[in-house]
Amino acid sequence: MRRLFTLAALSLGLASAQGTGVLTIRFLDVGQGDAVLITSPEGKSVLYDGGRSEVRMQALLKQYKVASLDLVVASHGDADHITGLVPAVQALRPRFFLNNGLALTTQVWQKLTGAVRAAGTQGLLAKSQVINLGSVKLTVIPPPPGLPKDEQNVNSIGLLIQYGSFRALLTGDSETPETNAWLKTYPASFLGPVNVYKSIHHGAKNGDNARWLAAVRPENVVIGVGPNNYGHPTAEALSLYKKAGAGIYRTDLNGTVTVTVQRTGQFIITTEKGTGTAGSRKPVATPAPAPQPAPYYRSCAAARAAGVTPLRLGQPGYGRHLDRDGDGVACE
Amino acid sequence: MPDEPLEPVLTGTLIVDAIEGRFARVERENGATEDWPLASLPCGVREGDLVRVTVDGGDLEMEIDHEATRARRAQAQQDLDTLNAASPDGALDL
Repeated sequence: MRRLFTLAALSLGLASAQGTGVLTIRFLDVGQGDAVLITSPEGKSVLYDGGRSEVRMQALLKQYKVASLDLVVASHGDADHITGLVPAVQALRPRFFLNNGLALTTQVWQKLTGAVRAAGTQGLLAKSQVINLGSVKLTVIPPPPGLPKDEQNVNSIGLLIQYGSFRALLTGDSETPETNAWLKTYPASFLGPVNVYKSIHHGAKNGDNARWLAAVRPENVVIGVGPNNYGHPTAEALSLYKKAGAGIYRTDLNGTVTVTVQRTGQFIITTEKGTGTAGSRKPVATPAPAPQPAPYYRSCAAARAAGVTPLRLGQPGYGRHLDRDGDGVACE
Repeated sequence: MPDEPLEPVLTGTLIVDAIEGRFARVERENGATEDWPLASLPCGVREGDLVRVTVDGGDLEMEIDHEATRARRAQAQQDLDTLNAASPDGALDL
């Protein structure tokens, strides 16, 4: 049975957790706003929103040694979601810029699209589409038709992340008209259950609602939030998450929240500080049966048969006897 | 000889980035964003609106510039449509 751990990031030694074979999803601490960095086992990276500060994003990209980006996503165009995308695009020149197709009048929007043009990044209009991030599958959930085109929140882009049996869902600052439309469009089995879910609109009153969460069935909720004048996250949203039995993590209390997912779908959630609130919901997705972790594989043949080669020092199954040249990488 | 009209002592432009409950998040000319009470902005203001601000003497006046808003939105939309013109269909491998 899968076990979920919440540990201080430093105590776990994240460097070893980022080795080959893991998907890493970081809910970055950008203050009041959203920014989610997704890195596949193959080193492919996506930045879903960038928070409200260019300086903060520059520091985070440096802190997490982000050397390349394949895709940036503006869930929608509000400044607390796109400002940090500007330096990310300027520095890392991603291949694609996924957007909802609705332009804004703000200077920061103009700056972002100017940076996209200058970087030679291709615009990618949100539509029902699968994006393969190496071995990680991203399913774009486009804004439903018929919603007001001058309201960004209800035209947020959703993203379903799948790796093995693991599922995570990000849905920007959607509001009830959009989630209702998605409920009509997608079967419940598509929307949920999910292991990790980004709280809609930083826990605002007009974001998550009981009907939507009954479909999503989140095992864990991460709220991207910082000091704000809006009352985010609201008591109503927190109550909904508790009623859903979800574990709750908040970037204002926990700093950057990192989800590390193994190929089997097993995952751990680590925080920069503090601990999240434990959930009462049982694990929602049954991972593929995995052998109980052994101290190490007896041979490289066994490791290859398990599909885990090469094995790096610190990864489950690594043993010195498998690492003939002693370089920390076994069964190369 | 009639008095010359006084020049406004301060003029400026705000762009409404988002409306969050009782607050509007506005973008100043220097690019900074601030939360302003929604009630302090012109009645009927909407996200994306360009608001002209004039401080004349002791009076603060604000007015939505609908024409400038429309023009700015149209140009931004044209730019975005150009960026998205070659947006690929189907599954995408990164």
